[in-house]
Amino acid sequence: MSVTTETSAGAAAGSDAIVDLKGMWIGIAGLNIFYLFIRIYEQIFGWRAGLDSFAPEFQTYWLTMLWTEIPLELVAGLGLAGYLWKTRDRNVDAVSPREELRRHVVLLQWLTVYSVAIYWGASFFTEQDGTWHMTVIRDTDFTPSHIIEFYLSYPIYSIMGVGSFFYAKTRIPFFAHGYSLAFLIVAIGPFMIIPNVGLNEWGHTFWFMEELFVAPLHWGFVFFGWMALGVFGVVLQILAGVKRLLGKDGVAALIG
Amino acid sequence: MSTSKSGGAIGPFHSVAEAAGCVKTSDWLILTLLFLAVLGGYHIHFMLTAGDWDFWVDWKDRRMWPTVIPILGVTFAAAAQAFLWENFRLPFGATFAVLGLLIGEWINRYVNFWGWTYFPISLVFPSALVVPALWLDVILLLSGSYVITAVVGALGWGLLFYPNNWPAIAAFHQATEQHGQLMSLADLIGLHFVRTSMPEYIRMVERGTLRTFGKDVVPVAAFFSGFVSMLVYFLWWFVGKWYSTTKVISKI
Repeated sequence: MSVTTETSAGAAAGSDAIVDLKGMWIGIAGLNIFYLFIRIYEQIFGWRAGLDSFAPEFQTYWLTMLWTEIPLELVAGLGLAGYLWKTRDRNVDAVSPREELRRHVVLLQWLTVYSVAIYWGASFFTEQDGTWHMTVIRDTDFTPSHIIEFYLSYPIYSIMGVGSFFYAKTRIPFFAHGYSLAFLIVAIGPFMIIPNVGLNEWGHTFWFMEELFVAPLHWGFVFFGWMALGVFGVVLQILAGVKRLLGKDGVAALIG
Repeated sequence: MSTSKSGGAIGPFHSVAEAAGCVKTSDWLILTLLFLAVLGGYHIHFMLTAGDWDFWVDWKDRRMWPTVIPILGVTFAAAAQAFLWENFRLPFGATFAVLGLLIGEWINRYVNFWGWTYFPISLVFPSALVVPALWLDVILLLSGSYVITAVVGALGWGLLFYPNNWPAIAAFHQATEQHGQLMSLADLIGLHFVRTSMPEYIRMVERGTLRTFGKDVVPVAAFFSGFVSMLVYFLWWFVGKWYSTTKVISKI
């Protein structure tokens, strides 16, 4: 269909454009650049200052990071949720169809940034933790890889998940009424990996386990990791909303 | 407002062209976010249930590796198929999920195993899963039936796993002489490359018997794996459907 070669940005240039990806690109670039910096930091200070938790340099280069990132994340998460709630649409049912559609596309961008954060946390830094602990025996719960994995990358994707949820809840009529079960799973499920860290570290501390990654103690992470699949339901709900806004004639015009 | 072939606005759009562009952009966003979310969930699932049999070449032993990996890998493949087939009739769910897992694993093998903790890259390759995934998708496409895909597809998923990985491990059968003794490269890896923090039973049993690279128990392991993969496929097809819920609840 020849019309598909024209982008929406080009077709609707101006202030009322439905698609504006700038915010998403800034979010993705910010996350990736930040994690690139973190990875370089690990490369330098993991081996140089991260092998002995009793060493003064461990305090300087790793525990300082830990005690800085946790309060910052708490403030960022609460601040983001608070901002989205404070600036909520107080008459969400009166939103115009065009604006509602724009908000659906913005929600997709929120979820895309969330999925990038999920990649870094659940994929990159989690398996990286396996490589580190197969090489350097842990002498504390707060190893260099844990300080990045558990206490940095997991909270960041949780903040993005909660942000996505609050955006939808406060601005899109469908999500504003009641609670989407799939969205609750997406927002809360992977977040529950963070409390599960408590069980994990408690177990490692008391049972002096071998560094077996498939140990049953780790299966709590697996269970909550499954819940990223809640995006299936959220995507279906967004598509249903878009279809409803397009109407029968709109759908027919697009696919005909 | 630009002109459109329908001559004007459709729904909330100013034109068909604007609508088509928006749909196209949204499709890419959805595919990207689904890919990364499935990648993240699949990877953390896989590394903490099957990972130890997949992380290092010397744990890819002939009984546990071809048994454990397909059984625990067919999970997300089935769930992704359930979502993409039931809702969109798209027949690439298994390949979609497996590509995500493999991309995540290869990035880790290079950047972290090799780049941070200095494992030789030749000793930490992730298992190849694309061929079994293609098989699973083709069976679903041809049959249109999740039951047939579970029985025929998941059996093939288990059976194809080992031969699909054979090219990567075949080279380790290369013979070599060490201090007057005939050995294989596999023997050398088992004896000479000692990793730290390795579970004791692996040190005692797996390395001691040097039974890493094949022989006649593999087909038995593969059939058993295919059998259990069928059961897991059935279960995870419904897991995929559960996560595709569009239910809204009134209060939490």
